[in-house]
Order: sequence, then C-alpha cells, then structure tokens
Amino acid sequence: MKKPLLASLLVLTLALLPFTMTSAASKSIGKVKGLRGLVSIQRNGKMKPAFPNDLIYQSDVILTGSDGAIGILLDDNTLISMGPISRVAMDKFAFEPATNEYAMRLKMQHGTFVYQSGLLGKLAPHAVELETPVGRISMLKEDTSFRAKIAE
Amino acid sequence: MTRTILLALFLVTMLAGCATKENLIVLDKTADGTVGALQVSTDKGSQVLAESGTAVRIENRDTSPSPPAPITSEESQRLFADALQVHPLMPESFLLYFKLNSNELTDESQRLIATIVAAVQRRQSKDISVIGHTDRLGSDEHNRRLSMERAKVVYNLLSAASIAESDMTIIYHGEGNPLVPTADNVAEPRNRRVEVMVR
Repeated sequence: MKKPLLASLLVLTLALLPFTMTSAASKSIGKVKGLRGLVSIQRNGKMKPAFPNDLIYQSDVILTGSDGAIGILLDDNTLISMGPISRVAMDKFAFEPATNEYAMRLKMQHGTFVYQSGLLGKLAPHAVELETPVGRISMLKEDTSFRAKIAE
Repeated sequence: MTRTILLALFLVTMLAGCATKENLIVLDKTADGTVGALQVSTDKGSQVLAESGTAVRIENRDTSPSPPAPITSEESQRLFADALQVHPLMPESFLLYFKLNSNELTDESQRLIATIVAAVQRRQSKDISVIGHTDRLGSDEHNRRLSMERAKVVYNLLSAASIAESDMTIIYHGEGNPLVPTADNVAEPRNRRVEVMVR
C-alpha cells in the first residue's frame, strides 16, 4: 500500500516540476524599447515577432532580420541594442537587490551590438558575463559602454 | 589554365571572406559621458580597452586580440548606425523626500513633481515606477505601511498631474533598502524618500 502512494507522489512531483520551473522563469527581465523592421524572439522553442514594449524573459533568444533592429532595456537599466542580422541569447539574468541575487550571462552570437552597463555593473560587476564566439568581454569599471561587431 | 583561374577566384573569395569576418570591439563614452574600461579575452590572450574611440580586433578565438588602436568616429558610426538608432535612453530617476514620520513631501520635493511630469512627456514613457522607502526609526511593520503610503501620495500627485495610472507601478520597500545605511531606530532624512524611475 505504501509503495503506490510513494510512486504516485513521485509522479505528481514530476508532473508539477515543469510548472514550478516555468513559474520561476516567468518573471520578465526587461522590455523592448526601440524596434525597427522584423525582429523575432525565440522562447520555449517557438518563434514570435517582437513588438515595442514586449517583455523579455530569461532564456529568450532575439534575432533581427536583414532590415531589423532592436533596443532592449533590462531591469537593472542595462541597455543593449542590435542592428540587422544579429542574434543574442539571454542565458541568465537576476537582479534582486533585496536578496542580493545578481547574475547576467548574455551571448552575443553575431551581428552588431551597442551596450551600456546598468546597476548590475555597479553592484556586482563580476556577475556580468558577456560571451561572444571569439571570446569574453569583462567589465573593468562600474560604468562601461561599448560597441561590438561579431562576424563569426 | 582553367585551374589557374579557379585558384585565383578561390583566393579572391578567401580574402574577401577574411575581410568581412572581422570581429571588433570599440570602447564608447557612457550615458553620463564618462569612459569605462573592459577586457577582451580569447583562448590565446587578452587586451584591455580604457580609452574611448579605441578598438580591439579579433580574428578568431585561437588568436590574441589586436592591441587597442583608434577607430574614427565615422567608421564606428557607420558600423553601428542601425543599433544606435534604436538604442534606448537611460532611465531617469528622481528622489522625493518626506517630513519626519509623515507622508507629507518636503516643499522642495513638492516642486519636483512638475520636473518628473516633463520627463515623462519628453520620453513618452509608459513605464514609471514609484518606489517608497523609510528610515529605520520605528518597527518594520510600521515602516512598510509608511513606505506604501508615501508611494501612494506621489502616485496620486502624478496621477493628478495627468500621468496615466496604467503607466505607473507602485513598489514599497519599508526600511529594507536604505540610501544611507544606518543602525536600527535611527532617523535619517535621506532615507525617507520615494524614488520615481521614468523608463
């Protein structure tokens, strides 16, 4: 009698797990502020077109078309924009000053980027990881702005 | 003969390919006009960029980045024109202060309301956070309520000044997020504040 109960509890837990994970990941991390042409957001395996004021979520991949450009404001005031035929993966983002949780990992996969650091750069510069296929960009000062063209 | 032409074509294509396959990182002035610094690291080496208008170039991750060299603002502008056109404005933050243990604004802060409204209109912002805080005088519970009341006072003032309520979000932190850290039960006027963030 005990075993089926345990088994059904396990099944229930496993069944609920995806929901718990979704709800943890469902807090938005930023917003689309500027937009031009066709830009797509890849989220949970699906592609959707981006619109101004759309919310951005952790794990989103953002892609611009040949006439596309997008400007994003992240919750910590990091600004990142991209020109045409660009692709960025928002792998990880946490900005919770109340609980001291800070993390950011962006993969600038290809295209043109303009980046202005936000509060994460001030409060937790070491938590900011910016990856490109040709190497890593690390902030040496709290407030840093750069442009990057990644061809690879 | 055909072979030579093919080889020549192949070499031209290779060279053209190399020219476009360049990766470039340019240090820029920040939104405040200051200059930051960054390090670019590949598997083979790293370079530091600390002067605005200088750039490192990277062939691939198995080579060292080039030493920093100046890039003309025309070239940088040309390469990044599309991204720059949609680059968001840095959010603006305003601090409003309150009288001791009260939800009444100081006279000076009262006058800041018009400045905030102007900023919202200039940026056509639909994303305004009103964040209430207190100092550490009194209990946590009391301060949580007071920070909420303070945020509400500012929210109502902004709403009366024609800012749409649907564009505003109220957040309150009680005494938990001081601007100036103090011991418990200490009065600190700089912490009795509401921050309005216009994004």
